[in-house]
Amino acid sequence: MVNLNAVLLISFALFSIGIAGVLIRRNALVILMCVELMLNAANLNFIAFARHSGSVSGQAFALLVMGFAAAEVAVGLALVVALYRKRDTVQVDDINLLKG
Amino acid sequence: MEHFIETIGRNMFAIFGVMALGGAAVVVASRSAVHSVLAFLFAMLCIAGCFLSLEAEFLGMAQILVYAGGIVVLFLFVVMLVEVSKAKEKEVFQLQSRYAIGAVLLGVAAFSAVFRKVIFGAASPQALKLSDNLAQGLDVAKQNAQAVSRGLFAGYLLPFEILSVVLLVALVGAVVLAKTERV
Repeated sequence: MVNLNAVLLISFALFSIGIAGVLIRRNALVILMCVELMLNAANLNFIAFARHSGSVSGQAFALLVMGFAAAEVAVGLALVVALYRKRDTVQVDDINLLKG
Repeated sequence: MEHFIETIGRNMFAIFGVMALGGAAVVVASRSAVHSVLAFLFAMLCIAGCFLSLEAEFLGMAQILVYAGGIVVLFLFVVMLVEVSKAKEKEVFQLQSRYAIGAVLLGVAAFSAVFRKVIFGAASPQALKLSDNLAQGLDVAKQNAQAVSRGLFAGYLLPFEILSVVLLVALVGAVVLAKTERV
């Protein structure tokens, strides 16, 4: 048996690490990875609550989230490659084209 | 010893969870993007272990397939495209080929140690048969996959179909975004 609180704690910590990474890193690739970490923390919560409530809906939704994460990563990496072609950098603080 | 193993088995989730947190911390802290990707792979595998210990067998396997098999490889390719290496290698062989050969030999040794009896021993008189524990585990996994598929296709068919459209759009969008300028 796994304690629900333990799962929530782990997923909270994982989400925090992910959000810290998004905020403090400059490399766009690492930022994408941290977004993935956050999505996985959410998935962990889905599964924990599915197990807690005895319903399978949470697992089905976690599978959907996994698919959306894959789509997101494909588009995000394509954006990174396009950005590298145009601006020759993947550091997000070098990208200030929209700055007035 | 028995007791120790039992304790580990009971706390499998916590062990995998803490390992995943460590991997995530390395993703954030590491300077090299390649190291980040490898730590990300480690964290994803540990999260798959968490899923397995939460009795979501199908999702654990899907996690390994999708992340370790797909997304991490994609990340590695983009790191290779984007991070220009400054120093060119002059030697013919890679620096790590010695280690690679050693690892292969180690793998062969471990494999032959495990399957020593099967390979070199006399043919077993009994037919091959799953142990009860393993058979039960497979049964549980089958039930889990059945339950998930029932939930997905009965309860959430519309989101599932929308996901397929989103994946198609992402596919086309990624190709359009990443293609070179017209020739």
